[in-house]
Amino acid sequence: METTIQQQQARGGPDQAEPALAMEAVRKTFRTAQGPLEAVAGIDLRVGAGEIVAFLGPNGAGKTTSIDMMLGLAVPTSGRVSVFGKDPREAVAAGEVSAVLQTGGLLRDLTVRETVTAIAALHGAKDRVDAVMERTDISGLAKRKVSKCSGGEQQRLKFALALLPDPRLLVLDEPTAGMDVSARHAFWDTMRADALEGRTVLFATHYLEEAQDFAERTVLIGAGKVLADGPTAKLREMTGGRVVSATLPEGRPVAAAVAELELLERVASVRLSGRRVHVTGPDSDAAARLLLGPLGATDLEIAAPTLDAAFMELTGAAS
Amino acid sequence: MNPTYVRIELARQSRDIGNLMFTVGLPAVMYLLFGNMFGGGSAQAGSGNVKFYIMVSMAAYGAAVATTGIAGTAAAENMLGWGRQIALTPMKPSGFIQSKVAVALTIAAAAAGVVFIVGAATGAQADSWSVWVLSYAIAVAGSAVFALYGMGVGMSFKSETAINVAGGVLVFFAFFGNVFLPLSGTMLEIARFTPMYGFVGLARWPLLEGAVATPGATADSFWWLVANLVGWALIFMALALWAMRRTRSRQ
Repeated sequence: METTIQQQQARGGPDQAEPALAMEAVRKTFRTAQGPLEAVAGIDLRVGAGEIVAFLGPNGAGKTTSIDMMLGLAVPTSGRVSVFGKDPREAVAAGEVSAVLQTGGLLRDLTVRETVTAIAALHGAKDRVDAVMERTDISGLAKRKVSKCSGGEQQRLKFALALLPDPRLLVLDEPTAGMDVSARHAFWDTMRADALEGRTVLFATHYLEEAQDFAERTVLIGAGKVLADGPTAKLREMTGGRVVSATLPEGRPVAAAVAELELLERVASVRLSGRRVHVTGPDSDAAARLLLGPLGATDLEIAAPTLDAAFMELTGAAS
Repeated sequence: MNPTYVRIELARQSRDIGNLMFTVGLPAVMYLLFGNMFGGGSAQAGSGNVKFYIMVSMAAYGAAVATTGIAGTAAAENMLGWGRQIALTPMKPSGFIQSKVAVALTIAAAAAGVVFIVGAATGAQADSWSVWVLSYAIAVAGSAVFALYGMGVGMSFKSETAINVAGGVLVFFAFFGNVFLPLSGTMLEIARFTPMYGFVGLARWPLLEGAVATPGATADSFWWLVANLVGWALIFMALALWAMRRTRSRQ
């Protein structure tokens, strides 16, 4: 994590030393009927100018609450959030940060063009309406009522609204939630086309695949904390190994088998539950061969990595 | 306040024809009912006649219903997350409220205007044209207070029924604010503190100059009526701002 920051700062040059986003020991506690709920339990995060960062975590990890605080929509219970060195509300007012909110809605009885025009007027950016609609591929929908737009079209409209102030930092909260696979790809193609040029982007997602495809850096978040933060490629290595599981035969020492598996090259971890052994690592073939051959294991299964597995891996390692 | 935003918002409100007809038309219908209920509609009242008194009362009530309803749509918008979308623009909560109030006042002006036109056509009379103009202007301008009320109540309760509640309570305010029927005794003493009393009293000022329609009741001072209106305006303003800030963060 430290090295990442240093690299980013080096790349940005001395005049870019001001991070696009800085969160210091940020906590957010909600009062609920069941007592206080700590949605964000101490997050430290610095995002340098020009970075594309995935905010990866399952539902309820604290992603949206963190994003709300980055945008000044919620105030941290403690800690400090700044955007380009400013208070988030000031940065919003200056048009330096904008967002596609997951729960940020649209008015159903406005047309697409009216929606864009209304928000553009508030930004004092009416001259950007046509360009932004063109860029997000909604010009053809201009006269359509928002209520008649598909989920993907509404998402593109929200993306258009986010681009209106020409923000330096763009925050996307699960921008592809509820889209099917093809709509998701279309959305990211639009994003990549030219909209992201030169912007700092932070997007929340619970699709590992999206983080892998679009982010240089991934911040893994769970239970309101940063679990891992680093180059996405590294994280993939850490969590990307397949899991080989098999049942070890009765009557043979389990510990010896585990020791043998741990000796394999590129094995990330070996976990044991009863006689069932789980081996995680990129080289599933070697583990499978060893298990089925010399170790005489049965009921072999090989599973592709999931975010859940990654989480178990990381939280298991931490405890 | 942003003119483009207000224009788009007005276009949007005027597309809801059913609601608009109801908001703009009902006060006029109520004037026709109440105006003919009292036989002495053409009897003298202040510097006009009783029909003028009822016309001003209904115009004021109609304007307040319109502003409450239109401003209350802000609550539904917030429930859809529009408030969060707006919160990502430089528009401040106070700017959002001002824009909403401007839209509400435009519709209120139409509602009160219809009552005045119907009144003029059916025998409402005043001694001078300035009584007409001033009464109308005060009824419309004062109804802004109820835009704040509608917004505040609508956003305080997170449900779609909130705005119906606000409308229902408004009927209660109108009754207890001496708007529909002249109150007397203890009821009138309580009424002097209720939210519509100052508003409707000021709207009737050009006609009655503070006199109360109830025989023998003490007249209101101009400053008491102003204090009532301003006091409630501040209370509703605080409620609207508080509710709006609260809805911006996710619950």
